[in-house]
Amino acid sequence: MMVFKNYRFMLLVCMLLCILCMHCEPWVEEFEETEDAVLFTAAQTLAPPSSVNTLTVMDWNIRFGAGRIPWFGDSCGDRVILTEEEVLTNLRLVADKINEIQPDIILLNEVDIESKRSAYIDQMQWLLDNTRLNYGAYASVWQVQFIPSDGLGRMNMGNAILSRWPITEAIRIPLPPRGDQDELTRYFYLRRNILKVKIDLPNVPDFYAVTVHTSAFSRDDTRKKHIDLFKAELDALDEAGAWFVAGGDLNTVPPGAARRYFCIENLCPDEDPDDKEGCDFTKEETWLEGLYEDYQSAVPIDNYLAAEEMYFTNTPDWGGFWQKKLDYLFTNNQWVADSDSTHQEAIECSDHAPVSVRWEVPQ
Amino acid sequence: MKKTNFLTAGILFLLITPCTVTGQLPEIEDGIWSSGTAFPVQAGRLEFGIFMPAAYGLSESLELTTHLLPNIYMPNAGLKWSHGSVGPYQWATRHSIYYPTPLLNLVAKEGIGGLISPEFTIPDMLAVHNEMMLTRAWDPHLLTTLKLGVTVAFGSGDLDPRSTIDLPLVFPRLSVFYNTYSIRTGLNFQGRIFFRWHYHMATDLFFLPGAEEGFAFEQTAFLLWRKNPRFQSGFGCKLTYAEYPFGTQWHLIPVFDTQWALQIKK
Repeated sequence: MMVFKNYRFMLLVCMLLCILCMHCEPWVEEFEETEDAVLFTAAQTLAPPSSVNTLTVMDWNIRFGAGRIPWFGDSCGDRVILTEEEVLTNLRLVADKINEIQPDIILLNEVDIESKRSAYIDQMQWLLDNTRLNYGAYASVWQVQFIPSDGLGRMNMGNAILSRWPITEAIRIPLPPRGDQDELTRYFYLRRNILKVKIDLPNVPDFYAVTVHTSAFSRDDTRKKHIDLFKAELDALDEAGAWFVAGGDLNTVPPGAARRYFCIENLCPDEDPDDKEGCDFTKEETWLEGLYEDYQSAVPIDNYLAAEEMYFTNTPDWGGFWQKKLDYLFTNNQWVADSDSTHQEAIECSDHAPVSVRWEVPQ
Repeated sequence: MKKTNFLTAGILFLLITPCTVTGQLPEIEDGIWSSGTAFPVQAGRLEFGIFMPAAYGLSESLELTTHLLPNIYMPNAGLKWSHGSVGPYQWATRHSIYYPTPLLNLVAKEGIGGLISPEFTIPDMLAVHNEMMLTRAWDPHLLTTLKLGVTVAFGSGDLDPRSTIDLPLVFPRLSVFYNTYSIRTGLNFQGRIFFRWHYHMATDLFFLPGAEEGFAFEQTAFLLWRKNPRFQSGFGCKLTYAEYPFGTQWHLIPVFDTQWALQIKK
């Protein structure tokens, strides 16, 4: 029993606890450096084709399986924690739409893998197990053990890319945080990123898929920085001779869009009218010009401007129609002409409509 | 390790190891700080700290306890009742009651500080905890205490299972309100290392029979500097492992406390 009186015993205990501490997860994952993304595989993989001439590529912000439930953070709702049944019902709608469109590669935003708000359902694994897609890469945008606000609790939301072919490389590239928040809010807030994956596509040695979800509510130039860094990443791939399909929820409207101000109809009853987060795009006329000029858009800008409403992909107005286009797909090769679809019929699945298009595989 | 192994090991340790000392101990004579042992606070003595519960010796065998600060929003009280000694063992029972509804409703709010979503209403709930404590003094500087208790919760309505606070220390203690009852057991060691430095180590196990998230483990290591029988201060850490709605997780949490004692009545 002398051992308990001995200070060496206490030192040993302290050392053991310190070692265990080193294995503990940080309270907030800060992702300051470029790092590997997390890889997933479907429970049962389906053999993908060994040669293809075209691919179907899809982009979708799936709103963490919340469907059209009035969640407090992105609509004028009061819901915070969804039930498992609600999330699974919405995920089933998402999977049904994916299975209907049959994409070969899908770029996703707002995927939850371990969040209290979405009943802790691993949506990456669930989508892989319920679609024909085999492989996935995931990059957290918001990974916090416990957010002490609004009952949010544990959060892990991110960007994802799902593919029928194996993902051989997956990198999470950090984007700068919002510049218009205080330190405490920023500490618990989102860490946006670019997710870049290399896909083992038959006969195309350097093929990448890239997705991003840029800042939604910043009132400074954070979103522009994100778009510029996204384009810089695509430029680097292009200069290296790689092929890419890229896209995501860029949270701004296209150049030339007739409407750029949505703050009046999007104002919640108890909201400050001067709070113009995520609804005023009047100063962003040129922010996407570089992407449109240097790369092929799934929806060519002339087509978009000729019939804007047909291409709208987002609305926070639960009773109304789609309001604006925020979701995009670009490539440095060619899309199959007129193969794009903006699936506005999927209005029950999310506050964003998916976009799909056929991509010509370089021969 | 199987969950029950911790408990089995603790019981065996307590019973098999031979007794080396009998009689009143310096650890106790120094003015024992009652927390974690079957010894009650001396009659008329009040102990209170920042985080540790305040304890007052009502008599030689009864001690009244309460967590002072949480009382504002979580009324709570306890009674430790010493039943004297049986052979080398000092034994006591502890009976406590707490009403967490006002505190939980306070943190079920919008914005910062909202640990529970405001969409949930917390019904009136009450928990009663009854515990047996068995302390054995091994030598002048080591006390070992085995604890075994049951908590039973009563509520005026259904508590939404999504309203849990999935945090270490908090989740295992509030889980009883989602499961009606829980079992808690543990083993404490405390004693002197040298001079004024003391240690306190505690292992606590929480069981919620039938619940999906039915187990939690906490290991506390605490180093205390005891200036005199009226003041002590210390720091340490708490290693926790628990089953949460999202899975299992370890945490290492720094802890500290400062305690004072007053002899109110001779």
